[in-house]
Amino acid sequence: MGRERNLSKSADVVVIGAGVIGCSIAYYLAKLGIRVTVLERRERICSGASGANGGGVPLSLTSPDSPTLGLRKPSIKIYQTLSEEIDCDFEYEKTGVITCAIDDAQYSLLRKHREGMTRKGIEVQLIDGDEARRQEPALGPDIIAGLEDKETGTLNPFKLTFGFARAAKRLGAEFLFCAEPKAIEMKNNKVESVVTDEDRIKADFVVNAAGAWAPVIGKMVGLTIPIQPNKGQTLVTEPVALNKRWRYVMDADYLARGASAPPDAQDIDVRLGITGGWIQEKTGNWTLGTSHEINFDAAATIDTVSRMAKRAIRFLPGLKNVKCIRMFAGFRPHCYADDLPIISKVDNLSGFIIAAGHLGGGITFAPLTGILVSELITGKETSMPIEALAFSRFDHITEGAKQ
Amino acid sequence: MSSKTSHIRDNVVCRCEEITEQEIQRAIKEFDLSIVDDVKRLTRAGMGLCQGRVCYRLVERILLEEKRLRTNELLPPSRRPPTRPIKIQTLAGWEESGT
Repeated sequence: MGRERNLSKSADVVVIGAGVIGCSIAYYLAKLGIRVTVLERRERICSGASGANGGGVPLSLTSPDSPTLGLRKPSIKIYQTLSEEIDCDFEYEKTGVITCAIDDAQYSLLRKHREGMTRKGIEVQLIDGDEARRQEPALGPDIIAGLEDKETGTLNPFKLTFGFARAAKRLGAEFLFCAEPKAIEMKNNKVESVVTDEDRIKADFVVNAAGAWAPVIGKMVGLTIPIQPNKGQTLVTEPVALNKRWRYVMDADYLARGASAPPDAQDIDVRLGITGGWIQEKTGNWTLGTSHEINFDAAATIDTVSRMAKRAIRFLPGLKNVKCIRMFAGFRPHCYADDLPIISKVDNLSGFIIAAGHLGGGITFAPLTGILVSELITGKETSMPIEALAFSRFDHITEGAKQ
Repeated sequence: MSSKTSHIRDNVVCRCEEITEQEIQRAIKEFDLSIVDDVKRLTRAGMGLCQGRVCYRLVERILLEEKRLRTNELLPPSRRPPTRPIKIQTLAGWEESGT
């Protein structure tokens, strides 16, 4: 109020959110010669979930029946050549992953998962505990079996996001920081401009890539976007000697529970959504995850990290005497209706595009999301079928919310 | 070069991660950085055992010189727990210890 707005700005596309999704979209649009302005409410890029994750790029760590399974191989394929393309070494590496079972229930989960993945043509190997320990002495004695997936990898999420942003800027994209959208103006069901405290930016398209905050942007155009924050806590350790065989180890519970954190569960680990996922960076530092909690409190909480630490030691006992040097939390954008991302135009709202709700897959699907959004904007047929990610799948929900 | 120390080669700024002044200057230029935390995220300066307690003022200094910023244009670095490194086992035993 009372502040003068710069009313003369314009762009072909305004992207809201400078996380890995927004930066990827900006890059792929700028590459086509499209004029992009990225608005970020915070003072820098990568300030949400994109800067608070383990950098995993998993192939098989999802339900065999998930509609996103088919998008994983193409995503991983893009990563093989992307670092050269954007001239930034973001440390992508095919580390492989081993998902471990410590009891019979988990063992049958692994077998079921192997069956499902094999059915979908994704190669995974079941390895018994002793053999797994022979290959990887860091694995604990409680482990009775492991499921290996060799196509899974890891990368440095900061470098990826900064790399996308820099490549986009070189192609002419503009980034505005501390620029929180306050309103989206429309005319005849078509987006016209985005208003911040400083500017009014005219645009033909507005892309909502605000992650866990996507519903706030949705509200500005009268949409109910069924996304909520799914808080994940992470511990980082001091560097130690590198694991011999697997630097990416998962707790089989993840396959059963995913992002769910039922508030009425008896077991506190289940209630806090604690599912172990542990990645050792090339530097030797371990990133120990994680929890799934439904709130927007950015603080690390001792009850949760203590349980996470306990779980990590159970699978990787050598971590016992390793020191934690920092801990933090981030907010996955969780589409609670069906756990799937939304990459979509919106019916009767011309020019508005949603690219959010990637949950734990923001890093995995960032490049592909950028490509898909650029196809939606240029009016091309999308290179992958994404009907399952369309916003219209919530028609019944949003109708209900309006009443 | 505006940096007063630019004649010194391989001047280690972050001792935990062994990051030099030159690496930091390069990252600032290459990625157009102006925030201490961004320097940390891209170079690892301040990501080690001491979590930047020793080097962050030096990193600030370099940013000020490279970007010709005023001190009041610098954002403070993030501070994350724990205050001191803590063994994973100690964290795991938090409930039992009753602290």
